[in-house]
Amino acid sequence: MTASPMTGSQTGSQQVDPVAQFWRAIADGDVDTAFARVADDAKVEIPPAGILGTAKEGREFFAATVTAFPDLLLTIKKSFTGSDGATITELKLEGTQAADYLGAINQEKHLDIDQVWMLRTDNGAIRSITGYWDQNMLYRRLAVKRLDQVALV
Amino acid sequence: MTLAGERRARSAASAAGVVQEFFDTYRRQDVHTMVDLCAPNADFSYLPFEMWRKQIVLRGDGKVSTVGKPIWAGLIHAFPDLTNEVRSITADDNGNVAAEVVIGGTQAGPWGPIAPRGQAFSEPHLFVFHVNEENKIDSITGYWDNASICRQLGHLEVD
Repeated sequence: MTASPMTGSQTGSQQVDPVAQFWRAIADGDVDTAFARVADDAKVEIPPAGILGTAKEGREFFAATVTAFPDLLLTIKKSFTGSDGATITELKLEGTQAADYLGAINQEKHLDIDQVWMLRTDNGAIRSITGYWDQNMLYRRLAVKRLDQVALV
Repeated sequence: MTLAGERRARSAASAAGVVQEFFDTYRRQDVHTMVDLCAPNADFSYLPFEMWRKQIVLRGDGKVSTVGKPIWAGLIHAFPDLTNEVRSITADDNGNVAAEVVIGGTQAGPWGPIAPRGQAFSEPHLFVFHVNEENKIDSITGYWDNASICRQLGHLEVD
């Protein structure tokens, strides 16, 4: 597992800390440490993965991600915290597929995809996680040809 | 202390206000004013806008004036009832703004490789802006799930 370069501008360090620690742990493949900062009833919304749930569903998603891409590389492009306490993180996720992922069969393809995440914190705990990316771009990288035949090669 | 806090609140609020005005203008389908809300050389990146052809990959990267404007105009042409709903705006006192926005419309004309079938879409987006000291947008980056939009419009090929 490659640690994130964690580059880019960061502001509001006291509020960003739980979020920065979350992403550092994910970059290290340590989902347990990442979710130690996430409230059990946190709202997790990841539309491209079809996830609308709580920390349990979020943990399963990130566990599947670090399993499918054991050489995961996260590069933080930009992160800032708004006056309402939400932290926006733009990052690039890269890795070589080593297991089926979000329905796509493992063909050992390289994935590089731009994502944006919004995490809200309260009293040091992460209370919500929202993520966006283009699933078409992900499928294109993993050699999926049709949206109704994701598991076919 | 109080003055600094007030200045910070006003700065974040003014940047958020520019972005709110941008989406209000987009809802009115006034592309010229959308461009006027941006700095002359504003950067533009719609990351999901990626089309692979035999010899070239087309991307939605460049400047607002040369890439953003034709994309917005093309979207409105293909989806004449194109609209948006701003769900949240987050801003800091350095001009950074993020907006969660649901964009939707009914397809009446071709949009890239997607032939019109009279289908409608409604999809959450997250946009990251930077607003400069003159209260002009100098950077726009857009994120959304294009696969979801393609499904809603009945287009099932990834490319």
